[in-house]
Amino acid sequence: MANRIINWIDHRFPLTSFVKHELTGYPTPRNLSYLWNFGFLAGIVLMLQVLTGLFLAMHYKPDAAIAFDSIQHIMRDVNYGWLLRFMHSTGASAFFLVIYIHMARTLYYGSYRAPRELMWWTGQGLLLLLMATAFMGYLLPWGQMSFWGATVITNLFRATPFIGDQVVVWLRGDYSVGDDTLTRFFALHYLFPFLIIGAVVIHLVALHTVRSSNPSGIDLADKDNIPFHPYYTSKDFFGLGVFLIAYFIVVFFFPHSMLEPANNIPANPLITPDHIVPEWYFLPFYAILRSVPNMVGGVVAMGLSVMIFAFMPFLDRSRIPGGGRYRPVYRMLFFIFMLDILVLGYVGFVPPTSQTIAIGQVATIYYFGSFALLPFISKAEDNWLFKRGLPPKILALIASEEKEKTKRRQR
Amino acid sequence: MNKFIAACTLCCTIVLPASAAETKLENFQADTSVVAVERGVDTFMNACHGCHSLKYVHYRDLASLGIDKDRITVWRGDSTLDSAMTSLLSDEAAIQSFGKVPPDLSMMVRAREGGNSYIYSYLTGYYLTPDGKTSNHFFPLTKMPDALEISSATDPVKRSELQEKAHDIVSFLSWASDPHEAERKALGYYVIGYLIILTVLLYNVKLQVWSRLKV
Repeated sequence: MANRIINWIDHRFPLTSFVKHELTGYPTPRNLSYLWNFGFLAGIVLMLQVLTGLFLAMHYKPDAAIAFDSIQHIMRDVNYGWLLRFMHSTGASAFFLVIYIHMARTLYYGSYRAPRELMWWTGQGLLLLLMATAFMGYLLPWGQMSFWGATVITNLFRATPFIGDQVVVWLRGDYSVGDDTLTRFFALHYLFPFLIIGAVVIHLVALHTVRSSNPSGIDLADKDNIPFHPYYTSKDFFGLGVFLIAYFIVVFFFPHSMLEPANNIPANPLITPDHIVPEWYFLPFYAILRSVPNMVGGVVAMGLSVMIFAFMPFLDRSRIPGGGRYRPVYRMLFFIFMLDILVLGYVGFVPPTSQTIAIGQVATIYYFGSFALLPFISKAEDNWLFKRGLPPKILALIASEEKEKTKRRQR
Repeated sequence: MNKFIAACTLCCTIVLPASAAETKLENFQADTSVVAVERGVDTFMNACHGCHSLKYVHYRDLASLGIDKDRITVWRGDSTLDSAMTSLLSDEAAIQSFGKVPPDLSMMVRAREGGNSYIYSYLTGYYLTPDGKTSNHFFPLTKMPDALEISSATDPVKRSELQEKAHDIVSFLSWASDPHEAERKALGYYVIGYLIILTVLLYNVKLQVWSRLKV
C-alpha cells in the first residue's frame, strides 16, 4: 500500500528522486567537524523564531499607546506567554550567536573560496536581512531602549547624500519615531522572516550544487564522501540536542539577561537614557560607527564593516587550498581578528571615554587593515610556504585530488 | 587555540573590575515564598500603595498565588478582585505634593540596573544630612520621602526590623515583576532533564550510525 502511494506521487512529483538526491544520496565529506553543525542550527532557530513570533503576534498590539502594556499582558495573562516571549527574545541572541559561529567557521577554513562564492554572498545577504529583522523587532516592546535605539539608528540615514532628511522621515513615517514607525516596523518584522526563508532556499540550492566544504579545504573527491542521511542527520540532531540544552537553560533560568533593564521602562520621547547601547550582536559595528569622528564617515565605515566580508573571495590569493589548517599566518590573522572584534564589542558596550575611543580607533584600523593587507599577506605566505616546502601529506592530498578530478572530467 | 583562550580570559579579567565601580549595592536575594510575599504586600499596602500603583498586578493574582482571601478583601477595599492594584493618589495631587507622578512599581526591579539589590539598597539607603534633611546614598536626587523612616532610626533593633520590612517589600516587588518565575524554574528542570536524556540517546544513535562506516 505504502509503495503504491509513493508510486502514485512519483508519477506526479519527484519525491523519491528528491529524497535520494538531497538526503540519502547527497554526498558529504566524512571529515566534517562539529563546527559544520551551525548551518543546520541556524535553520532550526529560524523556525523557532517564526513559530514563537507567530503566536506572539496573536497577542501583541502594534500601537504606541498599548504596545508596552500588551507585552505585559503576554508575560502575565496569556497561557505560557512568558515562555513564548522569552524563547523569542533569547532566540534572537541565539540566532546571532549561531550565525557568527557559522561565519567564523567559514572564515577559518576558507570555505568562502571558489567555487563557494555565491554561498558566501547569499549568506552575506542573509546576515543583512537578519540584522534588519532584529533591529525592527527590538522596537516592538516599545521600551526606552527600543525607542532610543530606533531613533539613533534611523537618524544615521541622514548621511544619505542630498535627500538625507527626507529619507529619515520616509523611514519613520513621521518627524520622530512614533506610532507610525512602530506599526510599519511590526509589518516589516513580520515580512522579513519570509524573505529570509526565501534566501535560505537559494543558499541551500547553491550548497547542493557546490557541496559542503571541509576542514582540509580540498574538495575531497568521491572516495571520502558519505551520504548526508543517515550520517549527518544523526550528527546534526545530536548537535541540536546540545544546542537546545544551552538555549533552554537561558530561557528558563536566565531569561532576563537578554533584556536591557531600561527596556522595562515604557518609551518616553522626553527622557533620553544615560547610555544608549545596542544589543550585544551589534556592539562591534556600533563601536566602529563611534570610532569615526565624522558622522557620514562613521555610517560609511559601519556599513562597510558588515559588507567587507563579501570581498573575501577576492582578497585571499593563496594557492594552498582552504584556510587556517595548512596556513599558519592566515590562522594567526584569524585569531587576532576575532580578538579585535571582542575588543570592538567591549568598546561599543562601555560609555565612551577618551581612552576607549582611542582603543576603538586602533581596533577599527586593525579591522579594516586586516582586510586591506590580506591580498599581500596571503601571497607572501603562499610564497614562503612553497619555498619552505609543504608537508608531504598535503602534497599527496592535492595530487590525488587532481587525479580524481581529471578522471571525473574524462568520464 | 589555547593561546587564543588565554588571551580572551586575560581580556575578561581586565574588563571585569572596570564595571564594578561606584557605590556598592547590598547583595540581595529575594524570598518569593508565599509567606514572604504576603508580608511584603502588607507592608507595601501600608508604606507604598498610598502613592505608587502596580498597574499590571491584579488582586486576583494575589489570590492565585495562594494568599488568604480575607486579607486581600481588606487590602482591596471597594475595588473588585479583578481590578489592578492602582493607587488612589491622582496624578494632579501627586505633582502638587512631589513635583512628579510616582512611578508605577510593577516592573521596578526589572527596570533598574542592579535589580532587587538596587531597590533594597535604595529603600534602606536613606540617611539624615547634618542640616536635618533626608537624603539617599544611591539616588541623591530622589523626590520620594523616607517612607520606612529608616534615616531617623538609630536603635539597631529598630533598624533591623525596618530592614526586614524593606526585604519583604522587595521580595513582593520581585514577585510582581515576574509572577511566573517559580513556575518557569520548576518547568525548566523538567525540560532540561528531558533534553539531557534525549541528547544522550541521540548521541548513541549517532555513534551507532557512524560505527557502520569502514575506516
